[in-house]
Amino acid sequence: MSQPLVEMIDVEKHFGGVRAVDHVSLDLCAGEVVGVLGHNGAGKSCLMRMLSGAMVPSGGEIRIGGEAVQMTSPNDARDRGIETIYQTLALADHLDAPANLFLGRELKTRFGNLDDTRMLREARTVLARLNPNFKNLRDPVSSLSGGQRQVIAIARAIYFDTKILIMDEPTAALGPSETAMVADLIRQLRDEGIGIFLVSHDMHDVFDLCDRVVVMNKGRLVGAHRIDEVTKDDVLSLIIKGELPADWSARNLAPAL
Amino acid sequence: MSDTSKPAQGFRLDALMPGEGQIHRLSALATLLLLVAGFSIASPAFFSVNNALTVLLQTSVIGLLGIGMTMVILTGGIDLSVGSVLALSGVVSGLAVKAGVPVAPGMALGIVTGAACGAFNGFVITKLRITPFVATLGMMLIARGLALQVTGAVPVSGLGEGFGTLGNGAPFRIVHMKPNGFPQVLFPGIPYPAILLLVMAVAGAYLLRRRQLGRHIYATGSNEEAARLSGVRVDRVKLYAYTITGALAGLAGNVLMSRLVTAQPSEGMLSELDAIAAAVIGGASLMGGVGTISGTMIGAFIIGTLRNGLNMAGVSAFIQQIMIGLVVIGAVWIDQMRNRR
Repeated sequence: MSQPLVEMIDVEKHFGGVRAVDHVSLDLCAGEVVGVLGHNGAGKSCLMRMLSGAMVPSGGEIRIGGEAVQMTSPNDARDRGIETIYQTLALADHLDAPANLFLGRELKTRFGNLDDTRMLREARTVLARLNPNFKNLRDPVSSLSGGQRQVIAIARAIYFDTKILIMDEPTAALGPSETAMVADLIRQLRDEGIGIFLVSHDMHDVFDLCDRVVVMNKGRLVGAHRIDEVTKDDVLSLIIKGELPADWSARNLAPAL
Repeated sequence: MSDTSKPAQGFRLDALMPGEGQIHRLSALATLLLLVAGFSIASPAFFSVNNALTVLLQTSVIGLLGIGMTMVILTGGIDLSVGSVLALSGVVSGLAVKAGVPVAPGMALGIVTGAACGAFNGFVITKLRITPFVATLGMMLIARGLALQVTGAVPVSGLGEGFGTLGNGAPFRIVHMKPNGFPQVLFPGIPYPAILLLVMAVAGAYLLRRRQLGRHIYATGSNEEAARLSGVRVDRVKLYAYTITGALAGLAGNVLMSRLVTAQPSEGMLSELDAIAAAVIGGASLMGGVGTISGTMIGAFIIGTLRNGLNMAGVSAFIQQIMIGLVVIGAVWIDQMRNRR
């Protein structure tokens, strides 16, 4: 395997005496989907927020493409090709779809004015790719359906030159057909060589899409496995108890009957 | 998805309908026109060029404050200090001119003082993490206290004619010399404050609509966390918004003191409330993210027209306050009714 896209080494985050993330190390390669699982409050969102620059680690090192980086704002992460789709979607409700898509990275004319015409055109193109029925682009996003809002959040993450994508519960607000669309999109992005962290509670999605899973429990990383080494029950055991079943051996090897 | 069944024609019709914000502004504009019509019937002197210019002059201070207030309210904040900052800036300009500084740099000094007060507000709000209400309440007391302290609570007068030009001058004045040697004023000219208000309103609207900072001001007020995660430097956006508001309050202070040709440390009491009322009547939401300069201008003129018209109709100042209070509540109530639907 070539140089990993992301290496997180011994990363920690404390809030006062609470260890939200406790000495966690993991990596992510290009063209790979890694599922990040755990209870609510297990520290997975916290871990991902450190990678997306929204939170500064208390200790440890993050390497992007082999280079140690200090990321103190979401802009730092974005500059390195790390895009995040937040569970809350992080949309400004009163702005329209193009304004949200380009928020923080507005296209400008030569005179430094906002280039709304070009932003609308680009938005139309990228949104049509995800949902051909998306027509009401000028409406404030508060008036859009949950699916459309999700599409904007996804479009915002893939429009720019993305190398690493963090998806926090990307299908939580979606219906079955839209979930399938997101799954197709994840495969397509993986094939383009993008590394993806998929934070999810949906075991089916995880086993369907991920190459590897990492499981967090009480801030610690309790398991990191190739998807064919484990069953859903093994992963559940890791999530709930923080350990594998006592009789576990890698499931892809010849079963010890 | 719900929108798949929507026919293409429906979409076209949607595009022709005025948006929610536009409806509010149209109703505010209709209110303004009704006021003008009503007062014109009540008092023949109301509907005249001279009185229109008086209204313009009287509204310019509320208008200037309202432009800044709109920006701050858009970020989800509030600025209670603009009335006091107005007084402090005017006093600083007055003292500078009195001390021999030429008028233009003297007034610039006042505006810089206003901007500094605004920047201090922004600093306290973003770095010390104190809520805008409390931070600007503090500045309201600080600036007023400073203005009273440096003047000894005595108005600074004898500032010379130059100091009065900004507030009292009016270009495009047309005077006709009658054959008997007396001048006849055909058109009294457009007062400088009105021109200044127009320029600032256009500049403010341009900033909010066409510049990145304006877009970020809306985004910050709409969803601060989302804006931050999207890479908007929320703290810097707020700092700019409060600084601009302070500078505009400084400008308004200079306009007002220039009109009086006296620097009054006690001027502008409660004018922050007029500015907030103007923004709210014009459709701004104190929750942030909603509001326009044009709306605030209409709001400012509703207040200005109401004051002027009621004055001309001989209604007491106390009744005026009651009516303006009712208008503020009514405007917000109508807006909420519309949104709840």
